[in-house]
Amino acid sequence: MRDGSSRELAARMALLAPFFLLYGVLLVWPLGSMVRQSLTDAAAPYAQVVRNPMFRLAVTNTLVISALTTLCALVLGYLCAAAIWKSAGVARVVVLALVLLPFWTGVLVKNFAWAVLLHDHGVVNSLLQDLGLIRQPLPLLHNRFAVIVGMVHFVLPYAVFPILAAMTAIDDRLERAAASLGASRLNTSRLVVLPLTLPGVYAAALLVFIVSTGFFITPVLLGGPKDMMVANLVEYYARQLVDFPAASAVAVLIVAGVSVLVACYERLPKEGQFGKL
Amino acid sequence: MPHDDTRDGPTVASAPHPTGRDLEVVSVSKSYGGPDVVQDLAFTLGHGEFLTLLGPSGSGKTTTLLMVAGFERPTTGDIRVGGRSVVNEPPQRRNFGIVFQSYALFPHMTVLENVEFPLRMRGVAKRARGAPALEMLEKVGLSGFQNRKPRELSGGQQQRVALARALVFEPDALLLDEPLGALDKRLREAMQIEIKAIQQRVGISVLYVTHDQEEAMVMSDRIAIMREGRIVQLGAPKDLYKHPETPFVASFLGETNLLPCGVVEDGAYGKVTFADGSSGVAARPRRDPGDGGGPWLVSVRPEQVRVLTPEDRLDTTIDGVVKDCTFVGSYVRVTILACGQEVVVKGDETISAWAETGRRVRVGWRRDDAQILRAD
Amino acid sequence: MLLLVCAPIFLYLLVPTLIVVPMAFTPGALLKFPPGGMSLRPFRALLGDPAWVDAAIVSLKAAAVAVGLGGVVATLAALGLHSAKFAGRGVVQGALMVPIVAPLIVLALADYQFLATVRLTGTWLGIGLAHSVLAVPYVFITLQASLAGLDPALLRSARGLGAGHWSVFRHVYLPALRPGLLAGALFAFAASFDEAVIALFLQGPAATTLPVKIFTDIQYDLTPKIAAVAALLVGLATLVFVVQTAVLLRRRSQPRATTAG
Repeated sequence: MRDGSSRELAARMALLAPFFLLYGVLLVWPLGSMVRQSLTDAAAPYAQVVRNPMFRLAVTNTLVISALTTLCALVLGYLCAAAIWKSAGVARVVVLALVLLPFWTGVLVKNFAWAVLLHDHGVVNSLLQDLGLIRQPLPLLHNRFAVIVGMVHFVLPYAVFPILAAMTAIDDRLERAAASLGASRLNTSRLVVLPLTLPGVYAAALLVFIVSTGFFITPVLLGGPKDMMVANLVEYYARQLVDFPAASAVAVLIVAGVSVLVACYERLPKEGQFGKL
Repeated sequence: MPHDDTRDGPTVASAPHPTGRDLEVVSVSKSYGGPDVVQDLAFTLGHGEFLTLLGPSGSGKTTTLLMVAGFERPTTGDIRVGGRSVVNEPPQRRNFGIVFQSYALFPHMTVLENVEFPLRMRGVAKRARGAPALEMLEKVGLSGFQNRKPRELSGGQQQRVALARALVFEPDALLLDEPLGALDKRLREAMQIEIKAIQQRVGISVLYVTHDQEEAMVMSDRIAIMREGRIVQLGAPKDLYKHPETPFVASFLGETNLLPCGVVEDGAYGKVTFADGSSGVAARPRRDPGDGGGPWLVSVRPEQVRVLTPEDRLDTTIDGVVKDCTFVGSYVRVTILACGQEVVVKGDETISAWAETGRRVRVGWRRDDAQILRAD
Repeated sequence: MLLLVCAPIFLYLLVPTLIVVPMAFTPGALLKFPPGGMSLRPFRALLGDPAWVDAAIVSLKAAAVAVGLGGVVATLAALGLHSAKFAGRGVVQGALMVPIVAPLIVLALADYQFLATVRLTGTWLGIGLAHSVLAVPYVFITLQASLAGLDPALLRSARGLGAGHWSVFRHVYLPALRPGLLAGALFAFAASFDEAVIALFLQGPAATTLPVKIFTDIQYDLTPKIAAVAALLVGLATLVFVVQTAVLLRRRSQPRATTAG
């Protein structure tokens, strides 16, 4: 496109028009209507949902489960990223494939698989019983444990990639320099690699946490009644109580909450290889 | 086997390094499963000496440095420090200071923390680390910079921090892998002098790798010229320049004329005849290259080829025709057709008087200024 | 050593994907482990069950709408934003990404309430339309990456030679976009095909997608048929993944071509 004429701008706007139309009709308008729904009766739905003890349960669960999921995903994700970073050739392709393949299977397939694995008569329990390690099946399903296991499994690739990006950005001579100066491999990892990958870790933490807060399917299929998360609360109001204003209120609160989290994250000091991010 | 000439050049009065030990590379070869990248390498880096591995890219010089540092293992051969073999030790335990081309400063640490790092790795307590680090920073001319971060420094300053970091723990030797490659010409030349001065001040042995022959000539006590994994010649810069043993060495260090010729024996000097029938005298190689066959050529540097007045008497006189003349600035460069090819002559401005294209001239050289070499 | 520590993690990633496959061959009427035999019964039951077949068809139709509509919109937007310098271009680009960042439940509720007013809830078209918004960012990102490699000199020389808009598109943009289009279409397809929350809200008797049916049946009608469908989906995912990797590897060994034709 030639530079700077208003004809060019008009052409660009013409190309962007379908986007404006589609998003306007199927995104902006519906979201706006939803907000309006939540404000009926002078925003009474907000008071209504907040007073309900289920709200407090859902919010607490969401924060706790997301925090635990994020923590586990960061630890496991860091190790995976390091394994990919340090491998080369065929091994690297294989390891990357192992992390990427779950991306392509949907959330339902994953949850079904975990149900099969964690069920009282499922794979894990049968294995443990056959090995003689337990007598009765362990309650691995329909509880907090299963939800976390399932969620970490889903978000792990999201944790790996920002961390891997930070790792590959490290000048490869730095590790050699540290070794030449007398640093053991442990010291090099601790004093050189880890600090330089922290920006990636922060990015991964934010991404994973936000993705975790939105989970819906996993708490239903793998969790118990006490594991309800905020997304489940929306569904409860909308489809079971058919109370759309209330459901909309919860939805708006979810968006507000996530926005606050992102804003807090942006304010955190983050030092990286190239100065403050 | 490359012949290790005795030192022939200005000896530097350097402070003897308190813990310096000799580094010996003994018959080292390296291959990655294919042909040898480094073949049967041997040299000794003496106490307080500045030795450069000089060669084109692919000559194996960096691989050699990496093997000395411990990042690569020799396929065969040994590496010894103070008589003790270190070839099985990891880089952490070899006690060498290394400076890479990209400096490899830790970006998240201050200059002081960078320089203190090796001391920290050696178990020096926090309060005891500051003084030696600051002292070393002073020696490299960076007092007052200790709290800056690497990204706040210029290339030359980062280079000096890298040097300080590599020297602060008093290693047995300093290994430098083309450290000035990323700098522009003027800064490079300034840093060459700096590094040499620091080396002399501290009194440390240096193994330096570069492909820049001028750099090697300026800084080194001795140079090992490498080609295709072998050391072709090892000696002091002046010695290599004046007495190259192969055409490769002669043309790699500075400029030279290589004139194919036939040779007739005559003791320390040979009578040589050129393609156009003219003849002259040149020095025979000091080491017998072994089996007698040619083909031979004469190497004579452009600045050693003199224009002769009718009265001049030199060992060799050749008739030629001027082809062209270029004023380069500090010298004049004349190409003449003689000996059946182009011969380059360098001299000062007075030459341009006779250097018109087409003019006949007589040039010559002293027999000690020309070497008979076997073509490689 | 690192790989050793990570081996359990990789097992953790891999086993759930793989475990559904042997389960799909359960001979009995109940799911149990070990399956105790190999039989194609679940697959036959699956293909003979009209509810499942219909679910697959609904999913495919919705995905087709999503990829088609979302793909076209995203392509035009990518062209419109290519090398753009107008004020607000960052905002437009940010807005494009919103569907990926927004929680699905919020989109699901909003879409449901809106589509109810135009009577498109409970239809595959409604689901497709909702999914097309999801598809746009995926296609846009991959196309943007493809266009980033387009040499601006190509555009200038084409224009200088007198090419009109359509010719420029056909001979300069399209070849550069082609690899990104396929990858983006695949991402968009997967995003729609596997999506469960929006589809749950928008479902109806004639508009139950595959993920929604799995969701309901796991809770109320757990049979080996689910394992069979899961195994098929895993097979499909693996196939797509293998093809994508092969294309990536092949393209990496070939020189990049951004010239027309």
